[in-house]
Amino acid sequence: MSRVLVVDDEQHIAEGVRFNLQADGHDVVVAETGEQALDLLLRDRSPFDVVVLDVMLPGKDGFAVASELRTAGQYVPILMLTARGRPEDVLRGFESGADDYLPKPFELGILLARVGGLLRRRRWNEQDASTAADTNDTYTFAGRTLDFSAMEIRARGQAHRLTQMECELLRYLVSRPGQAISRRTLLEEVWGLHESTDTRAIDNFVVRLRKYLEDRPASPQYLLTVRGVGYKFQPESEKPS
Amino acid sequence: MTGRQKAIGFFITLCVLLVGAAILGWIYWIVITEKLTIVQLVVGILLFALIIAGLIVYTVFLVVEIKRNEEHDTFINSVTHELKTPLASIRLYLDTLKTRPVGDAQRQEFYDVMLADVERLRHTVDQVLKAGVAREKRRPVFRTPLEMGELARECVDLAVMRHHLQPGAIALEAHDGASLTVSGDAEELRTVITNLLDNAVKYSGSDVRVTVSLAAPSPDTIWVRVQDRGVGIPRKQLKRIFKRFYRVQARGIRQVKGTGLGLYIVRTIARAHGGRVFAQSEGEGRGATFTVELPRATS
Repeated sequence: MSRVLVVDDEQHIAEGVRFNLQADGHDVVVAETGEQALDLLLRDRSPFDVVVLDVMLPGKDGFAVASELRTAGQYVPILMLTARGRPEDVLRGFESGADDYLPKPFELGILLARVGGLLRRRRWNEQDASTAADTNDTYTFAGRTLDFSAMEIRARGQAHRLTQMECELLRYLVSRPGQAISRRTLLEEVWGLHESTDTRAIDNFVVRLRKYLEDRPASPQYLLTVRGVGYKFQPESEKPS
Repeated sequence: MTGRQKAIGFFITLCVLLVGAAILGWIYWIVITEKLTIVQLVVGILLFALIIAGLIVYTVFLVVEIKRNEEHDTFINSVTHELKTPLASIRLYLDTLKTRPVGDAQRQEFYDVMLADVERLRHTVDQVLKAGVAREKRRPVFRTPLEMGELARECVDLAVMRHHLQPGAIALEAHDGASLTVSGDAEELRTVITNLLDNAVKYSGSDVRVTVSLAAPSPDTIWVRVQDRGVGIPRKQLKRIFKRFYRVQARGIRQVKGTGLGLYIVRTIARAHGGRVFAQSEGEGRGATFTVELPRATS
């Protein structure tokens, strides 16, 4: 059984989502404000497996809640729900630390599938972590260690925690070294998004990963942009200096 | 700082710089021109004054336009929210009913939720349409003699029912003198009172105590007052709240959802009836009183 936190001040939607998640056997808690959600997650350290977060909340909005959680080192997977479906909004959602984004009105089936997806990934990661002792799920290149089970990058003497989706994206790129992969493929394969989401949403994730990995994030050596296509991972620097 | 605030700052700075440059140029022109006649000087000064005035007018219009744009954006955002949220809810419950076994009691509950959402959608669509109609100038008012006490009673009953309030939550204090008759459009005046009541309830939070009172401050005017004990309105915003798309902004005020059209509609209807509306508030947290003043029908 998984614990889901639903943050929405619209009672009807919160109750509808709660009913469906409970019917699927999840344990659901509803918070009406961003402050309440932060209290539950940060102060009380209540364990949740996934958060369904509305953007338009009274007081602190969903963007603020997501980024505060990430800053505080809380990496619980976040599915953002919002009436604002413009590309800028989707982008801002990912930027603030959401793992997935769904515009209202949504189809019930898609909502449940997305929540299920985030939960499944979390379970895989936990399984990885529990077996990490013998089969270490790490990847090392150029003095950098990507630890997928601990969801962490160790580079230049520093460790950076990764969110679920950062971790997934990195794993996907690293497992295909030297191969140019389109933004659309990444959205489909990593996020499981098949709708016409703005493909630029990926860029923010790459920018963050570069900050952790690259010596000079502005002129990357490992996570390269392939103009007009997408991205590719180059384990060895192309231009040896 | 938002992009718009930056743009406003930029254009004002640009205006100041250009005005400064114009004045410097003007002084330079006077200095280098030898033997200026009075006529030349006057014409020169007028020309420069014209350029400077033009610059300032241009900047003012630009800033006003940017601000209007911003209000419009806020409006689009809130209307999007007000339309999509109930729609999302209805869809969610329909999907649920279609795909899951739901008990009878629960099913009734879901129907009620969906009906409430349909009502919310209808209300938003109505407000937007009414605001559109209200903007038409020289719109005819279909006048009939109306007893305001009766009209207020109807609206109060409706509001109590629609907001699921305790019977005494909205008190109606009738006027004990002669009946207060107004010549006006019943539907529009109902909208006036209903919008004021909706606001009073919305901004009261969980403790709804609203008073509606009728009075005749002078022989030929009547007042309909709606008083709440809710979050109140900061003094500086008492006039602005009647502007189209304007929403009260204050720290500590819970972000109440709405379109920013309700009071604008109230004001346009009051004016079309030859009356006016004004707000009073002792400040944040101390409630607000809205007064609609209408001319009394001479019978």
